[in-house]
Amino acid sequence: MTSFLDRYADIAGPDVIAGLRQLGSHFAGQRVVHVNSTREGGGVAEILRWLLPSMQDVGLDAVWETIEGDETFFEMTKALHNGMQGQEVTLTTSMMAAYEEANRRAAERLGPLLREADYVYIHDPQPAMLRNLIGPTKGHWVWRCHIDCADRSRAAWKFLQPLVETYDASVYSMPQFAPTLKHAQFIIAPSIDPLSDKNRPLARSEIDGVRREYKLDPGRPLLVQVSRFDRFKDPVGVIKAFRLVRRYFPVQLVLAGGGATDDPEGATVLKAVQEEAAGDDDIHVLFLPGDAHLEVNALQRAADIIIQKSTREGFGLTVTEGMWKGKPVIGGNAGGIRLQVFDYQTGFLVDTPEGAAQRILYLLRHPARIRKQGEQAREFVRENFLLTRHLREYLTLLLGLSMGLSDRIYAQAPTADDKAATVTKPV
Amino acid sequence: MEIGPFYVKDCALICRMAGVHPAVSLRELRARVEVCPTASLYHHFCETKVRPSFDDPEYQSDFAVWAARSLRDQALAERLGVINPYDYDDLEDLRAVVLDVLDDHLAGVPINPQAQRGDHFHFMQAMTVVFDTRVQIQTVPGLLPAITKMTPGSIYFHVIEARRRTPRGHDDFSTWLLPQGGAAAEIAQEMSLIDFYFLSLRELQERLVTLLKSHFPTSMAV
Repeated sequence: MTSFLDRYADIAGPDVIAGLRQLGSHFAGQRVVHVNSTREGGGVAEILRWLLPSMQDVGLDAVWETIEGDETFFEMTKALHNGMQGQEVTLTTSMMAAYEEANRRAAERLGPLLREADYVYIHDPQPAMLRNLIGPTKGHWVWRCHIDCADRSRAAWKFLQPLVETYDASVYSMPQFAPTLKHAQFIIAPSIDPLSDKNRPLARSEIDGVRREYKLDPGRPLLVQVSRFDRFKDPVGVIKAFRLVRRYFPVQLVLAGGGATDDPEGATVLKAVQEEAAGDDDIHVLFLPGDAHLEVNALQRAADIIIQKSTREGFGLTVTEGMWKGKPVIGGNAGGIRLQVFDYQTGFLVDTPEGAAQRILYLLRHPARIRKQGEQAREFVRENFLLTRHLREYLTLLLGLSMGLSDRIYAQAPTADDKAATVTKPV
Repeated sequence: MEIGPFYVKDCALICRMAGVHPAVSLRELRARVEVCPTASLYHHFCETKVRPSFDDPEYQSDFAVWAARSLRDQALAERLGVINPYDYDDLEDLRAVVLDVLDDHLAGVPINPQAQRGDHFHFMQAMTVVFDTRVQIQTVPGLLPAITKMTPGSIYFHVIEARRRTPRGHDDFSTWLLPQGGAAAEIAQEMSLIDFYFLSLRELQERLVTLLKSHFPTSMAV
């Protein structure tokens, strides 16, 4: 039977898979526990969905747990999320109490597992207090921040910083996001799973089926933005750009997204978008369930140009997904989009709806450039943003944590005679 | 002299913050370069090839890229971009050269150029984990199929990183080939002429393969 990682050998190369197994050989039987706040919706759950089986495939005993909470807990975590993204927020006493209570309950439920784990990855602010509540532990703890927190609010960071300081290391998607802390801070860009339902190749009939289902005209260019209905994704700005383009070119727009279970603001933003698009048959606002991966895949493949006009963005996995499907991206000049979109190479970075409209028109008038930039975008993702690179960096970090985080670590793969990894000084 | 096999290693890098405040202006860059860890200098000059990046960048060093993109100072970018870190025996010598360029440039500009918000220069360094691939090359002709199949991590480790590690600043292949004398030493000499700093890892691998094919035109066997 083909193992989880072997399925990626044709895409990433067999040598890359062999390298991952080599790294993995240092962890045989060790346990890594990931904790986040939801199994459905949002980029973190998507990452964990492939990260778990791939870590298991290289020999780690990888486990995924979630923290649960009531409405006030999610109000608090949404406020923390918004605050980390730069919005001024107020954290009330009752919200902070709900946060602590949810973390305390999770600490009671997961305590034995977390205390005995060799490595613990805590994702984002929701379960960040677990480290403080769990007491002495055996393993190494890492806080993984997936948020664009370059301009974090003082209120949010004042609450989170003392919690995060207690970790052995923290990880961010870009250096701009890393605050000054006493522990080691690493930079790991996220990635996509090219074989997931959201990214795997589709038959033409599957794409046409989704076009028919959502009444999209196959004869006119299609612009697609896929993202949660979140003000930082600027869906209203996308509509504005679309209307500027339509003055000169017959186009149609899809704004597709769902709501993560930890995002109570989604409904408000969706309503604002629906009002803005009301009565316009060329704008398709699709609120999709969290498991509509094939529909998202088909919409991105049906698109001529992908848009992700975020004003704040952690990394922008929907950008990576669109590029993997061979599409140029009109991306907001924010966060990790800047790591992926290069003017005239893989799309264009824009700051305003007007800028987006101008670049969309440029591409629509030069269809050969749409194809060329799309091809370059796909190769760029293949080289840099597939899950194989991501897994390699996670494993490298774990190995580094277990060996003292020095600049250069010489790891001796365990043999039959020597199961222990060793550190030696460079020559 | 008995020469053992060549042990192929691979390496994985992960970037970390260097613990230096980001620079927002040219003057701040100069102040931070003066005190940043040598590992950070090394990272911004030499480890850029093993990070996610688009195609071949115009400049190899992050300092030159920042000057061009964020300060929009092409002249400074060119002066920083031409610095080859492997021309210096010591990273402190490299630091002195970079500071010279920055001081000279600062003396000639009327203002202190600033980057836009969000475009600060972040000082990074890398943690490198080196591991044995269990692949051994037994003969000199065996280098050809082995290098053809090597990962970018192996190419980086044996050619580029090696120069920081070996006493004479040689790549690992040359260190293995030279004591064997004859044709092997000749190959080592030719390898030393490859201007690796300005090549991407894939281009470097292609150059090595081309060089070896010229010596072993019919052999792909180990």
